[in-house]
Amino acid sequence: MKPEPGRFLAAAAGHLMLKTAGALAPGYEQSSVSVIGLMLTQLAEEFERAAARRIEENRALRRIFADAVAVVADDVLRAKLAEAARGDDTNFTVSALEQNNCALRTLLIELHVHVEELDSEAARRLEAEIWRELVTSTERRKLGIGPF
Amino acid sequence: MTGVGLRDLDRSEETPGAAVASLDSRLAAYVAHRIPDAEDVAVRDLERIFGGASRETYRFWLDYRRGAESVSRPLILRRDPPGSLIETDRAIEFGAYRAFFGTAVPVPEPLWLEEDACWLDHPFFVMEQLLGMEAGPTQLVAPPYDQFALPLARQKWTILGEIHRADPSDLGLDSLMETVAPDACWQRELTYWERAIDEDELCPQPVIRAAIRWLRRNPPPPPERIGVVHGDFRTGNFLVDREGVIRAILDWEMAHLGDPLEDLAWSLNPVWRWAGDERAGGLVPREQAIEIWEKASGLRAEPDALRWWEVFSSVKGQAIWISGGKEFTDGKNQDMILALSAWLMGNSQDRAALYSLGQLG
Repeated sequence: MKPEPGRFLAAAAGHLMLKTAGALAPGYEQSSVSVIGLMLTQLAEEFERAAARRIEENRALRRIFADAVAVVADDVLRAKLAEAARGDDTNFTVSALEQNNCALRTLLIELHVHVEELDSEAARRLEAEIWRELVTSTERRKLGIGPF
Repeated sequence: MTGVGLRDLDRSEETPGAAVASLDSRLAAYVAHRIPDAEDVAVRDLERIFGGASRETYRFWLDYRRGAESVSRPLILRRDPPGSLIETDRAIEFGAYRAFFGTAVPVPEPLWLEEDACWLDHPFFVMEQLLGMEAGPTQLVAPPYDQFALPLARQKWTILGEIHRADPSDLGLDSLMETVAPDACWQRELTYWERAIDEDELCPQPVIRAAIRWLRRNPPPPPERIGVVHGDFRTGNFLVDREGVIRAILDWEMAHLGDPLEDLAWSLNPVWRWAGDERAGGLVPREQAIEIWEKASGLRAEPDALRWWEVFSSVKGQAIWISGGKEFTDGKNQDMILALSAWLMGNSQDRAALYSLGQLG
């Protein structure tokens, strides 16, 4: 797709924020158009990385689950983790990757709850690994204009 | 300008322009009902203001004659929308304005609260509009307002201290707002916002779920006293004049009785660092803000308790962004601010939670 979608979105955002909004009287509609322009800049940022960040994160989560199999005490959870760790992304549409990501993050929450209740050094190491991944997940999702 | 005699009661409201045109005549009819001895009541220059996430906010001029007197007054209409970031009781918001009007806590004069939807399709209230003010947080940390950063901070956290120093029963707010035992403040708030996340989340929230578990494992001590909690006290929710004076505290829709530290923590949340540095609210270092508040409120911000409320503030913030995103996704409210907030604030709120939990340097 040429011009690149990101380039188009940046141009469209500029048009909306600098020209269209400027032609409107100050007020609700002008602000709405400016916000739509601002959101297009975020969309351009997200469009470029949408598949990559999900693939990267899904892999990271499966690695954690593989490590966790030896640590968790619950048989049912261990089986779910083992199965998830063996999985892979085979459909690279963003919606399919997102669906897998949601399933993996749901399992991460379940694992995190379980690990918090375990009393062992291995559990603490795994917990630290989960926290590192949570921090990294927010790095992957950061937007250039995000406030923090 | 549309007068009562010209009012159009067709409520089909097919376009935004038609909606406003219809709204002004109906609003004029309402005012005429509230001021029976007023003549030639007219509403003009009615215009929706962008950004009111919980209610539709309009500014307008009200003109009327009363005997030999001609009145022309700029006012604000706050009307319930079909869906919003937060679902709150407008009676509480209106009551907070009424309680603090004329006190050391500056607020616009509240005029009328109307809960009957027959007038404007949804409940609403009307209050004074202050002209020539700035509220935008990014504007307030940029020239020319940035020169007022320190005085603004002194006013901001002193006013917050005044809110917390006030006795809710003296203000008549104890009968309007749900009472809460000191040792139940944290649990009530956490349960409320956790439920909002349970109901509205569109995707799993591992950071915020971990924060919620931490909060339940480490409850804070009861507050020194129960106070009025504004609920959304931050740079962006007050009006500043051109001399750098705070003229009004706005957006009381989440006001309630509770632990005053809840407000202090919310005001310190990293997502409000509008200046792009570490200053709280884009104004002063966090320690300085706390010092100003302690002096004004007569309360102490015990560090562990304050930390609990800071972690909580990110849970509450995330709940608000999630709920707004849900409203937008469901098509209940297509206001762009809801989508923008969900996109722009969600990840930053997760990072703020990680920061308060000590997981992010």
